[in-house]
Amino acid sequence: MPRYLVERSFPDGLGIPLNDEGAAACLAVVGNNADHGVTWVQSYVSEDKRKTYCIYDGPDPEAIRRAAAHNQLPVDRITKISVLDPYFYR
Amino acid sequence: MKLLERDAFLDQLTDLLARAAGGQGRLVLLGGEAGAGKTALVQQLCHARAGGARVLLGACDALTTPRPLGPLVDIALVAGGELQRVLEGGEPRDRLFASFLAEISAGERPCIVVFEDMHWADDATLDLLRYLGRRIGGARALLIVTYRSDEVGARHPLRVALGDLATAAVTRLILPPLSLDAVRSLMKESPLDPVLVHGRTGGNPFFVTELLAAHGPGTPATVRDAILARVARLSAAGQAALEAAAVIGTRIEPWLLLVLAAPAAALDECLATGMLQAAEDVLAFRHELVREAVLETLSPLRRTELHRGALAALRNRPDAVQLAARLAHHAEAAGDNEAVLAYAPAAARQAAALKAHREAVSQYTRALRCAGGMPPAPRAELLEALAYQCYLTDRHDEAVVAWAQALELRRALGDPLREGDILRWLSRPLWYLGRHAEAEASVRSALRVLEPLPPGAELGWAYSDLARLHMTARQSAAAIDWGEQAAALGERLGDTALRSHALNNVGCARLQNGDERGWVQLDRSLELALAGNHEEHAGRAYANLSTRALASLQLDRAARYLDEGLAYAIDHDVQTYYLCMLGSRPYQLLRQGRWSEATDVATLLLARPALSPLYRIEGLVALGRIRARRGDPEVAAVLDEALRLATPIGGVWLATVQAARAEAAWLAGDAARAADEARGAFDEAIEHNDRWLAGELALALWRAGRLNALPPAAAEPYALQIAGQWRAAAAQWQAFGCPYDAAQALVDGDEPALREALATFERLGARAASGMAARRLRALGVRGVPRGPRSATRANVAGLTAREVEIWSLLGEERRNAEIAERLFLSPRTVDHHVSSILTKLGVRSRAEAARCARERGAPAAQPHNRAS
Repeated sequence: MPRYLVERSFPDGLGIPLNDEGAAACLAVVGNNADHGVTWVQSYVSEDKRKTYCIYDGPDPEAIRRAAAHNQLPVDRITKISVLDPYFYR
Repeated sequence: MKLLERDAFLDQLTDLLARAAGGQGRLVLLGGEAGAGKTALVQQLCHARAGGARVLLGACDALTTPRPLGPLVDIALVAGGELQRVLEGGEPRDRLFASFLAEISAGERPCIVVFEDMHWADDATLDLLRYLGRRIGGARALLIVTYRSDEVGARHPLRVALGDLATAAVTRLILPPLSLDAVRSLMKESPLDPVLVHGRTGGNPFFVTELLAAHGPGTPATVRDAILARVARLSAAGQAALEAAAVIGTRIEPWLLLVLAAPAAALDECLATGMLQAAEDVLAFRHELVREAVLETLSPLRRTELHRGALAALRNRPDAVQLAARLAHHAEAAGDNEAVLAYAPAAARQAAALKAHREAVSQYTRALRCAGGMPPAPRAELLEALAYQCYLTDRHDEAVVAWAQALELRRALGDPLREGDILRWLSRPLWYLGRHAEAEASVRSALRVLEPLPPGAELGWAYSDLARLHMTARQSAAAIDWGEQAAALGERLGDTALRSHALNNVGCARLQNGDERGWVQLDRSLELALAGNHEEHAGRAYANLSTRALASLQLDRAARYLDEGLAYAIDHDVQTYYLCMLGSRPYQLLRQGRWSEATDVATLLLARPALSPLYRIEGLVALGRIRARRGDPEVAAVLDEALRLATPIGGVWLATVQAARAEAAWLAGDAARAADEARGAFDEAIEHNDRWLAGELALALWRAGRLNALPPAAAEPYALQIAGQWRAAAAQWQAFGCPYDAAQALVDGDEPALREALATFERLGARAASGMAARRLRALGVRGVPRGPRSATRANVAGLTAREVEIWSLLGEERRNAEIAERLFLSPRTVDHHVSSILTKLGVRSRAEAARCARERGAPAAQPHNRAS
C-alpha cells in the first residue's frame, strides 16, 4: 500500500490533552480511518503546534482526503513518499 | 444467554429500532468474520429487545449457485398474503420488490427484517438490497444485513452493492473479536490457559465456545479441528446423519434427512447434542462453520452418493420445477449430466427472469459444461442465452466468445436469420471492449446476411446498431441515415423497442451536428421506452440525454437526467447504462466544482470488476484532473493508465485523455509539454466537432504560444479568453455554473480579478492553480499574498461538502430555498439537490430537523469563507 506524507495547518494550534480524552480522540481517528482503508502510522508536530506532518498508509490520495474529512482534519498537501534509510548504501 | 462485550452494539441496534418505529427506518450492515457472533447478536435483539416488533428472517444459500432471491422467498413463505401471491404468480421483479417493501412497512407494528449471510447473495438479492436501501428511510423497519467481512474483498459483488448505497440511510457495524478479559470470564470452569485460548482463537467467540466444548486431549489448533473433535464424539449413525445434513444445505428438511440417513434416532442424537437445531419446520446447523467443516471431511465417493440421493428424493417432488437451482446443484455434484441438462437451463431461465444475471450465467455455464453430446441447435440456444446474460452484466469478453461459438453453429445449421441476428448482437460487446472497427465489420456482415431475407425486426436492429456505431464515432450524417431507416422499419413492424433505439441514435446524431431538433427525438425515445417497459432502452435514453446535455454544458439539465436515470437503472437493473451514467457523473461534478463528490463517484466506478475500458477512461480522467488541480500525488499513475486504454480505441476517447494530460502538465508548470500533449488531440477534436475539447486544447496551445489560428469549432468561453476577453469568458463560465473554469479565465485579468480567482481556487482546494494566481499577483507587485497553502479546506461534519455546510447553516437560519439560492448565486434546483443530500448525510427526515440539528450541533456560521479575505 502506498505511503503518504500529509501536511496539516492548525492556525490556533493543535491541542490534544495528555489524558483519557486525548487518547480517546486519537483512537476515534484510528477508528474513522478504518472506514476508508487508511492507516495513520505516526505524526510529527512543529514546536508551535501549528503544523503537523503525518505519515499515512492508504490506497490513494482520495482515501486520505476522505478520512481527513471524516475526522475534521485539514489537509494542506499530500505527498507520496518512500523510506530512505541512511545506512541503505553502506 | 448473555453476550459478552456486545452491549454497546445491542444498545445501538435497540436505539435504531426505536427510531425505525418512529418512522425513521434504517439499513444496518452488520459485518464480522465467521463466528464473530452476528447471528447471536441479531437473535438477542429479536428476543430481548424487539419490544413487539415483527421479525422477518431470510438467509442466503451457500450453494455454488444460490437460488435467486433466497431471503425474500424465505420471508414470503412465512409472511404469506399479498407478497406470497405476487411471488407465486411469477409477476415482474419490480412488483415483487414493491410488494416486499409494502410488506415490511405497512403493518401496525414496526418490523425487524434480517438478511443473513449476504456475502453469498445472488444478484437479484443484491438488487433488492439496493432497492430497499434507497427507500428504507421512509419505512417503519430496521433492515439488518449480516455478512462475513473477511470474505468480502474490494471487488466482491456485495461490496459493489454497498458502494451504490453510499449516501442512503445506512449504519455500518463490524463486530470485533472478544478481549482477553472476556475470554477469561468465559473460562472460569476450564482448566485451560485463557491467554493460550485467546491467542489461538484470536478472540473469535464461536471458536472459543467450540474449543471449550471440545475438551479432548490437547488444544485444537483451528476452529475446524475443534468442531471435528465434537463431531467425533457422536455415534457412527449420528455422524452419518450430520454428513447427509451438510450435503442438503443450510436449510434441512427433516423428511429429506430421514431419506438420506435412515434412523430417526441418529437425527435425535444430532439435535440432543446441539449439532443441529430446529428452526420453524426445518433443521439447521448450529453454525455454518460446522456445516463447512463436516462437508470438507466427506470422501468424494460419499459426497457423490449423498448428492445422488438428494437429487433422487427431490426430483420426485410435485414442486420440483421450483427447486431447479437446488436440483442442478445436486445433479452436478452427483455427476449426473442428464439431470444437469434437465435442471440447469430451467434454473438459468428462472434466474434470468428475476434478473439474477450472475446466477443465470453460472447455470448456463454449468449446463454447457455437461452439453458434450448435445445437438447443435439447442446448444446454440444455450450459448446465445449465456452470451446475452454476459452482455447484460458487462462481461463483454465472455459475451463475445459465446456469441462467436453460437455463430459457428448457426452457420453450420444454415440458419441465416439467427446468423445475422448474432452478428449484429456481437457488435455490442465488441464496441464496449473498444474494438470499434470489428464491431462495425460485424454489423456490416449482419446486413449482408439479412438484407436478402424478408425485412423483419432482425434487419431493423442491424440498421439501428449500425446507426449507433456511426453516432458514437460522430459520423452524424450516416448515423441519421441508418437510424431513420431503422425507425421506419420499426414503425412498420409496430416494434416500439426498435423505434426507441433508432430515434435515440437519430436524436443524438442531430444534436452532435448542432441541430436542436434532436431533443425531440431523444425525448420521444425515452417516452416510447418507458411506455413499452423497454428497460434497457429507457436506461439508454436517460444515458444519452445526459450525455448530450453535458456536451452542451447544460449541467443542471444533465444532473437531472442523471439523477432520474441512475435511480431508474438501479431499480430496473440496467447494469450497462447504470455504469455509463456513473461514468458521465464525474464530468458534471468536476465542471461544477464538486470535486469530492466527483472523486467518490470515480472511485466507485473504478472499483467495478471487468469495467468497460470506455467507462474506466472516464473515471481515470476525472481522478487525474482533480489530483492535478489539488496538487495531489499519483496523477501520472491514472493518466498513464488512461492513455494505455485509450490508445487502441483512438477518436474522442484518446483526445479526452490527451486533454487531461495537457491540463496536468500545464498545472505542473510545463506549458511546452502541455502543448505537446494537446497537439495530437487538437485535430481529432476539431474533426469530430467537439467544441469544448477543441476550445480547451486551443487554450493549451495558445498558452504555449503555439496556436496558429483559433478554430471556429472552439467553444465560446475559450475563444473569448484566447481573444483576451477574460472578463466575458469568466461571466460565461459563471453562467454555465463552472466556478473553476471561471477562475481560470480571471487569472488572465487584473488585480481584483486575480484576487477573486485566488479565493475561488482556495475554496475549491485547487492548490496548483492558487499557487499560479498568487505568483501572478506578486508579479503585479501586490503585497501580502500568502506564500504557502492556507488550510481553507477544513473538513466538515458528516462528510458534508463545503457548499453543503454553507447551505446547512442557512437552513439553521430558517431560510427558504429560494432565498438560499439567491444568496449563494445558485439555481433553486441545485439548492434542492444540496438540501436532500444534506438530509441524507445527516440521517434526518426533514429540513426542520436539519435546521434544529444545525443550531444544536453548531453548523459553522454562514460566513462567506469562499470570498476574498
